[in-house]
Amino acid sequence: MWLENSKQFLATASRLLKVSGWMLLPLYLLIVIALWGAFLYAPLPDRPGADPAAIQALGDVQRIFYFHVSSAMNSFLAFFLVFIGGVAYLVTRNEKWDAFSAASAEVGIFLTTIVLTTGPIWAKPEWNTWFPWGDPRVMTELVLLLIFIAYFILRASLPEGEKKYKFAAVCGIIGFLDVPIVYLSIHLLRTLHPVVITATEIRLDPMIRQAWLMALVAIMVLTVVLVLLRTSMRLHHRAAQEMRQQLRERRARAA
Amino acid sequence: MRQVRLIWVLAWKDLRVEYRSRQAFLTTLFFALLILIIFNFAFDPGSPATREAAPGILWASLIFPGVIQLNRSFQAEAEEGTLYGIVLSPVDRGVIFLGKQLANWIFMLAIDLFILVAFVVFYNFSFSWSLLWIVLLLVLATAGFTAVGTVFAAMLSSIRGRDVLLPVLLFPILVPIIVAAVNATQEVLLIGEFEFFEKWVQLLVSFDVIYLAAGFLVFDYVVGE
Repeated sequence: MWLENSKQFLATASRLLKVSGWMLLPLYLLIVIALWGAFLYAPLPDRPGADPAAIQALGDVQRIFYFHVSSAMNSFLAFFLVFIGGVAYLVTRNEKWDAFSAASAEVGIFLTTIVLTTGPIWAKPEWNTWFPWGDPRVMTELVLLLIFIAYFILRASLPEGEKKYKFAAVCGIIGFLDVPIVYLSIHLLRTLHPVVITATEIRLDPMIRQAWLMALVAIMVLTVVLVLLRTSMRLHHRAAQEMRQQLRERRARAA
Repeated sequence: MRQVRLIWVLAWKDLRVEYRSRQAFLTTLFFALLILIIFNFAFDPGSPATREAAPGILWASLIFPGVIQLNRSFQAEAEEGTLYGIVLSPVDRGVIFLGKQLANWIFMLAIDLFILVAFVVFYNFSFSWSLLWIVLLLVLATAGFTAVGTVFAAMLSSIRGRDVLLPVLLFPILVPIIVAAVNATQEVLLIGEFEFFEKWVQLLVSFDVIYLAAGFLVFDYVVGE
């Protein structure tokens, strides 16, 4: 059928674009609220027993934590969406799910990169190390980042087509299944070789908890909007490719 | 019962091909030995620090040749077009996966055992019954390694540049296996106390079960047209 696929892609793409368009204003508001919460509303954590100099030194760096932790949690969400999209693609063989999976993987990589760059900035003053190799959460994030970079290397080495989508789906599923095992292995490693972390005790103020919740919600909405936008973009791209292909075929036939 | 026999038929076919040429086995084994020896020179030979690092060296020299073997296991099939023959036969694709995995597993284990002996000699450990625990680790770790590896190798067999792609896809997934195997080996060889050994074995078993099941389920999508 003439341009049948392209029409379908474009219809879905514009629907997604519309939905994410509606979410933009709330997203901006949520981000402003989260910034306000992290930098103005939340007090510095109470560190009983720490000397004032240490509190001063550790001070505002701690505020990075609101975005760091929220990004980490949402990166798991994004990679879970890759898994869901992969299973849905293998079951339905609908290319839209592949676009969704790839978009989620991109957002996941974006969030993990935030986590792995903000983490060291915070960890250096707090734990006196840039990169705590023994921390299960850090390691899980790192391995996830590696797995999904490999996912895109695989995608890049395959031409557009059913085979690429199938292989990418399988790779996403296998990659996501690794998450709990990696976490457990590093957790066990840590009980074996306790990491020496020189942190002062932190008591979580309810106001800190509220500010963190604001950041979590803001980044969650950001994740959803980005996934929808990127899915829509990928579908537009697919539609354009399809049209070009069909035009070329039609011209060849006419000539 | 028929399924079990089919798995064995498939694995036996691969092993027989390997046995008749032997070249692949010897080359892979030689490569593993070379890694073992190069590590010995890269670190200070015979020093206590190298001994501390020995468990890691053992597993590194098993993983790299393993990747070569996995690549090869589908290369010949893809070149000769025999993969089509297998895929077209009236057998469940999951069974094909288990057959290929079993062949790779046995092949790798054979290499692993030779390397273990060479490792004990080169790094001056003693032959004792506790080495049997390391054999157990070899069996379990190689099962998981070949389970993931067989899926990826089958997937990449039709892609150009698969030689680089396979380790790129495989190594991040293998992180838990390496952590578990190296630390458990450390307990057996260096510490001599089996405090966490059982936990590491549990971790390896769960990795094996998860990825054997996943491979069984997704293999249809990897080889089927």
